[in-house]
Amino acid sequence: MNILIAGVNKSYGDFVALDNINVSLPTGQLTALLGPSGGGKSTLLRIIAGLESADSGSVEIEGIDATKLPPQKRNVGFVFQHYAVFKHMTVAKNVAFGLEIRKRPKAEVKTKVAELLELVHLSQFAHRLPSQLSGGQRQRLALARALAVEPNVLLLDEPFGALDAKVRKELRDWLRRLHDEVHVTTVFVTHDQEEALEVADEIVVINEGRIEQVGTPDQLYDEPANDFVMGFLGEVTRLGPFRLRPHDIELSTTPGAPGVLSGVIERSLRVGFEVRLAVDVEGQGEPALVVLSRTHARALDLEVGTRVWLRPTAGATSVPVLEVASA
Amino acid sequence: MAETSIRSRKGPVTYLLRIFVITYLAVLVIWPLWEVGQQTFFPPDRGAGGGFGAFVERLSDPSVSYAFNLTATVAFWSVVINTVFGVGISLLIVRYRFPGRRILSVLVDLPMSVSPVVVGLALVLAYSTGQGWFGSALASVGFYIIGTTPGLIMATAFVSLPLVIREVVPVLEEIGTDAELAASSLGATGWQTFRRITLPSIKWAVVYGVVLSMARSLGEFGAVKIVSPGAEFRGETATLLIQNRYTNYQEPTAYAAAFVLVLASVLALVVVSLIRKEDHV
Repeated sequence: MNILIAGVNKSYGDFVALDNINVSLPTGQLTALLGPSGGGKSTLLRIIAGLESADSGSVEIEGIDATKLPPQKRNVGFVFQHYAVFKHMTVAKNVAFGLEIRKRPKAEVKTKVAELLELVHLSQFAHRLPSQLSGGQRQRLALARALAVEPNVLLLDEPFGALDAKVRKELRDWLRRLHDEVHVTTVFVTHDQEEALEVADEIVVINEGRIEQVGTPDQLYDEPANDFVMGFLGEVTRLGPFRLRPHDIELSTTPGAPGVLSGVIERSLRVGFEVRLAVDVEGQGEPALVVLSRTHARALDLEVGTRVWLRPTAGATSVPVLEVASA
Repeated sequence: MAETSIRSRKGPVTYLLRIFVITYLAVLVIWPLWEVGQQTFFPPDRGAGGGFGAFVERLSDPSVSYAFNLTATVAFWSVVINTVFGVGISLLIVRYRFPGRRILSVLVDLPMSVSPVVVGLALVLAYSTGQGWFGSALASVGFYIIGTTPGLIMATAFVSLPLVIREVVPVLEEIGTDAELAASSLGATGWQTFRRITLPSIKWAVVYGVVLSMARSLGEFGAVKIVSPGAEFRGETATLLIQNRYTNYQEPTAYAAAFVLVLASVLALVVVSLIRKEDHV
């Protein structure tokens, strides 16, 4: 019981949007499709919803072959980046839409709508028009509307992409809590790795129409399958023969243990609580990037021109530098 | 539409422009129309009665009532046809991609640029019983186009076809497909989506287009002239009546009928401006 995608291909003219996608998205979980813009993740989501059809391959939702089903028969809820609320209907009417289409009794519709508006904290706006709501409220409305039909699957296409940073963060936490409450199988598309790492149970990394890696946030972060996944999930720098995260480099002002590389601080930049140093390491073309806390940097009395010694922190995630990737 | 910045500075150029525009409108529109009104209510000579009573009397002549009835019938049906097909064609052009789509969208504008007289001639060529391509076939099943009311409706519908489409297409493009896709993912069928989502969104554009094509249909002359027998009680529409009476030295009747058409157009303009206001709320 899950979403099973097998051998899905999709091209737009010469452009290959999806190249032989095989993945199984588990029931009851919150899965993120993560990747750069134009990588094919939205296309995959729309194919699951039936809003677009695959050139080949099959989509199975909860054991039913949905490949040929039109969207209205798939029982999926879809939430769009730009809300797609029905502008001419009140908030309550928007939420009731799917139920009225299904010809549910009036009393039942009313109870259900009230329940959902409560869930998304929009009860007091029931009789307003969407134009009187803020972006975040509209997106919650769109979510309530999608949930009203009790879908097997809830699909969200960059749901927070059009919102400002603060609201995005609030809604992200709220989506996580909502999912813990209603447990509907949820798939959401995002290009924001922080959003995926924070909210999702499982992440599917998609790039250039291919799946790069599938795993839990921890797996992806700690054991990236390749250079691309490592680079996409967070900042990466190079130290000697390895690529690793800048905060996984240990810096000292005295030469110590073996395997330590020496260098000179080239630039120093303070961003809030952290200090970012570019260190010109001997025998290495590009400078290594090191991130320290402000307090730590002050204690070591670091400034441009200081000679430092670097080595990877014990247990740091690192991948060997490939010759092609080192450019 | 966004509020554009309006110049509030009142320099000599502003006044000059105003005088220019007002003069232009007066010479071209207001004065001639005023004359029509004058002639309608105060005919100058030949012992014709003046005032409102005489105006009503001229209009209640059976041939005049027949002409207005015919014009109303023709306008009504061509507006109905153009609304249905106009919305349909607009959806086709905006929402679907198919070979020949661009050609279709150019063809739709053709009636705007082709002279109505040519439209009338084309219809005669295609449908007249003597030489027409389909005329003889249709006549053999007892259906005549040229010289009958269906022919008048066809000619008028042809001429006013683009008006609804031109209003609806930009609105359809603007509202996009997200809401429609959302509706279908919520279980709505194509027809339900159209009825409950698309139609309410394009409602004002459709009404606007309907009013415009109504005004256009009431005033259609060229195409109708060719297609209609154009005799009293036989296919004489209001515009044809005006021409016939005018050339037959029954000018007061012609002016009375003309005044009614002007009134209808003004009414249409009022409706349109009210809709515009509604649209911007």
